[in-house]
Amino acid sequence: MADDVVFAPVRQLAEGIRARRLSPVELAETFLDRLERLGPRYNAVVTVTRARALEQARRAAAEIAAGRYRGPLHGVPYGAKDLLATSGGIPTTWGAAPFRDRCFDFDATVVRRLEEAGAVLCAKLAMVELAGGMGYRQPNAAFTGPGVNPWNREAWSGGSSSGSGSAVAAGLVPFAIGSETWGSILSPAGNCGLAGLRPTYGRVSRHGAMALCWTLDKLGPLALTADDCGLVLEAIAGPDPADRTTVDRPFRYDGATTSRRFRFGVLRDITDGCEAEVRESFARSLEILRGLGTVEEVTLPDLPYDDITRTILFAEAASAFEDLIESGAIAELTAPEDRYTAYARDAILAKDYLKALRLRGVMAREADRVLASLDALVAPGRSGVAPMLGGEVRSAIRGSARDVMGAVGNGAGLPAVAVPNGFGARGLPTSLQFMGRAWEENTILAAARAYQSVTDWHRRHPADA
Amino acid sequence: MSEPEAVRAEVETMLALVRERYGPRLDAEQLAGVRTALEGIVQAARALRAVRLTSAEEPAQPFAAYRAEP
Repeated sequence: MADDVVFAPVRQLAEGIRARRLSPVELAETFLDRLERLGPRYNAVVTVTRARALEQARRAAAEIAAGRYRGPLHGVPYGAKDLLATSGGIPTTWGAAPFRDRCFDFDATVVRRLEEAGAVLCAKLAMVELAGGMGYRQPNAAFTGPGVNPWNREAWSGGSSSGSGSAVAAGLVPFAIGSETWGSILSPAGNCGLAGLRPTYGRVSRHGAMALCWTLDKLGPLALTADDCGLVLEAIAGPDPADRTTVDRPFRYDGATTSRRFRFGVLRDITDGCEAEVRESFARSLEILRGLGTVEEVTLPDLPYDDITRTILFAEAASAFEDLIESGAIAELTAPEDRYTAYARDAILAKDYLKALRLRGVMAREADRVLASLDALVAPGRSGVAPMLGGEVRSAIRGSARDVMGAVGNGAGLPAVAVPNGFGARGLPTSLQFMGRAWEENTILAAARAYQSVTDWHRRHPADA
Repeated sequence: MSEPEAVRAEVETMLALVRERYGPRLDAEQLAGVRTALEGIVQAARALRAVRLTSAEEPAQPFAAYRAEP
């Protein structure tokens, strides 16, 4: 099969499959071969699911040949972050050595929905151990090794959906599923020059996904384009009796081209603390966005946003992993700091956690008040390019960096999409994020598509891959 | 007590709790790491406590009375 399928967007692959120019089986074999051959280069893969993939691909081919086309993911390969339960003897490791051989006997709802959409599961993808919930400070925080960035193999691919980022950027799968508690979709998307969509909290069922923080965890796609993220979201969104936080708000992706004008907001001083190249990329992006609509400076009231979301995250993670922490099994984790940092969280007072939950309500209302007159808040996706493999991971979660957009967006459960918007130091990508009101995925995706329609950053791919 | 002294005192109190629960598992370097983590937790907590809210401001948390169907 021609190499030009490797970096083809999902929409393009879908057109080829539907028109029977592309064979789902050959497509699966192409990406399975790449996963097996190149996956180790990027520490991107935990398990290549060859048998399941070929079975699904053959079924897709037969259905399509019989005229039963399911939709744009039918016959399209993908990878799932290895915190999503998979049946059939495929391990689900959570990136953590204590669970490296653990298997479930059911599929996570997202995996099941993608199967129903006809997508082909080709790999379980590497991740930071326990999705970074134990306080890691370095890229080497998984039993599979640090996620390697296809743009620069001395750099990290981002966390915690590191394999999801590396695999899509290196053309090992056309799209992947990641999870975000605070930054774990937008960070690898930004570091790897991809589109990454964090849906509204409650949009996508987490049933069968590792719980890190019950009120912060979200699942979403990483892909080559914002448009592809919309296609994937439609397949995985929707209420699920097995996850009572899901909401019965039907999502139909509107991928139509629009000539509408957008209203963008930028938080005052949002680029403070950003690397120079990130500021330059963002300034160029704002010029482009002014051609697509209006850009105005906005402010949020002075609240301790990072502290609100951080306190919720730490307290819930301490409870979610209570057994692992209290048993001392965290001593088996890879990053040395992951073996003890969580002990500190026993000291979070219930009163302080509740105060954070009370302030979360204020934060959510204030964010919505600002967003009500906008289509999206825009900001750099990350304050810097990906750190080097031997470097420190600066993180707002630990307080070593500031991330108001991430704190508000995740704390209030708001959707955001990141897309590439340039390159910074060491040839590494920079990114632009669009954050919208709750349930406004179609709006932010339309804005991101409009941006990508007049830029070509998403058409550039690592020479290494 | 100055703010830094108050933070330090709270951190030491919390550290004593962690040492009581997990001390035998932790060497000196790890305890120092726990102390650093505690400093962040205490700073965050104090920032939260500094914001005044009315008692009507409830936690943003769903809870519903439960009754099995039907």
